[in-house]
Amino acid sequence: MTLFSNFHPLITDIDISSLAFWSKTFQERDDSFKRLRDEAPVSWHAPIEDLDLTQEDHGQAGFWAVVRAEDISYVSQHHEIFSSAKGHTMLHPGRPEMSVAAAFLDQDPPEHTAYRKVMSSYFTPKAIARLSEKIDARAAEIVDRVVGAGDIEFVAEVASRLPMLTVADLLGVPEEHMEMFRDNGDKLLALQDPDAGETEEERMAVVGEAFGFFAMLGTEMAEAREKNPSDDIMTALVQAEVNGKRLDISDITMIMLLLSTAGNDTTKQTTTWSVMNLVKDPAQKAWLLEDYDARINGAVEEMVRWASPVIQFARTATQDIEFGGQRILEGDKVGIFYSSGNRDDRLFDDPWKFDLARPRNPHLGFGGGGVHYCLGNGVAKAQLRALMKNILTKLPDIELGEPTYLVNDFINGVKTLPVTIR
Amino acid sequence: MTAFRIEVDRGRCTGIGICESLRDDRFEVGDDGTLILHDDSVTETEKSEFENIVLSCPASALKLIAVD
Repeated sequence: MTLFSNFHPLITDIDISSLAFWSKTFQERDDSFKRLRDEAPVSWHAPIEDLDLTQEDHGQAGFWAVVRAEDISYVSQHHEIFSSAKGHTMLHPGRPEMSVAAAFLDQDPPEHTAYRKVMSSYFTPKAIARLSEKIDARAAEIVDRVVGAGDIEFVAEVASRLPMLTVADLLGVPEEHMEMFRDNGDKLLALQDPDAGETEEERMAVVGEAFGFFAMLGTEMAEAREKNPSDDIMTALVQAEVNGKRLDISDITMIMLLLSTAGNDTTKQTTTWSVMNLVKDPAQKAWLLEDYDARINGAVEEMVRWASPVIQFARTATQDIEFGGQRILEGDKVGIFYSSGNRDDRLFDDPWKFDLARPRNPHLGFGGGGVHYCLGNGVAKAQLRALMKNILTKLPDIELGEPTYLVNDFINGVKTLPVTIR
Repeated sequence: MTAFRIEVDRGRCTGIGICESLRDDRFEVGDDGTLILHDDSVTETEKSEFENIVLSCPASALKLIAVD
């Protein structure tokens, strides 16, 4: 059957599809999501507007928006009904011939289980504790570099640096490739970034360049680890056997790409949003510093909840199902909006309040639960703990300038943040 | 006085480790990704804390069973 081909009548006039909508601020967008949470918890929408593609180009009829926390959790946890493999997990429509599975992100059990297990031991609490020394050292280096720096762009100079370096450390990327690894990680999301190029061709070329780099690096590293095994994810990937077979180089490259997108923009955004919030709320900053070690664990959960760096992921219905008062058909795309769930006042009192002392309510910042729960959640939190400690103690006087925001239906982001560090 | 027992659904547990991040004296994800449960007994006074841990498991792999 052709996926995403069923048309459904609109039941709401609330627009969450247009470029104009996604150009609004996080708070403005949530005004629409709040109305949906209250009036139409499951609703049909036109496909997300693309910079270049028409409906004829991508052939998609639209998507269901699931916006309440409880429903998002249900969809997330019922992978047999809402599949990640069937139509992959990208809400934004693309050319059907270009749809590539993003490794185990776009797989269901049992394949997902096998592939994720290849590297999951690198993400356990104990493994992350072993990585902490490196994370702490890198965080200190990054912040020390900007002490008393005056006017800088915070995202480029601070927030963006640690995540890719940590992914590189986890993979085992050699030090000489670190800078390029970081630069190319940012290029992977260029296709939907109007600043990356004027035309679809230009933006695709940027993405293509980045793909090329990762393919080259993946091949080089795989060969190196075959000869000299080490204690890193690349070694685990070359040694792994799934269904009795070794992974081929394209599997390995796609996994590298997955880690480089998943582990990059997410932590970077949470860092920027959190610093903005803490500078604007000196009382909370003081509260946190009063007893940092005891308070930071709960605090980072709130940082992730508030920032909700991943706005949504999609699933594809494997069967017809009544859900939220609507009839979803097999082959329909279903978007689960974590950023909306994290503002659901059915789950969070005063959801827009940045409250580091909030009781530890399970939030949706790492997903709605189930088998795809963010593998890197522990790494993200370790990075945030290290960065915040350094930023809050070594950069006590930060003056915020005017931020620019990412126009994107996938990542909730701050593109640039001019600051003055005294 | 043991009022409850922690039960792990091994089919659901994938060693994410949120439980360990909350009580690392009781939950330990081994280097191979398998959860080790150190002492599954929960007293009446501990009940609320462990109910929260059960709720925090993203894989819904934990349960608190009442002990007669």
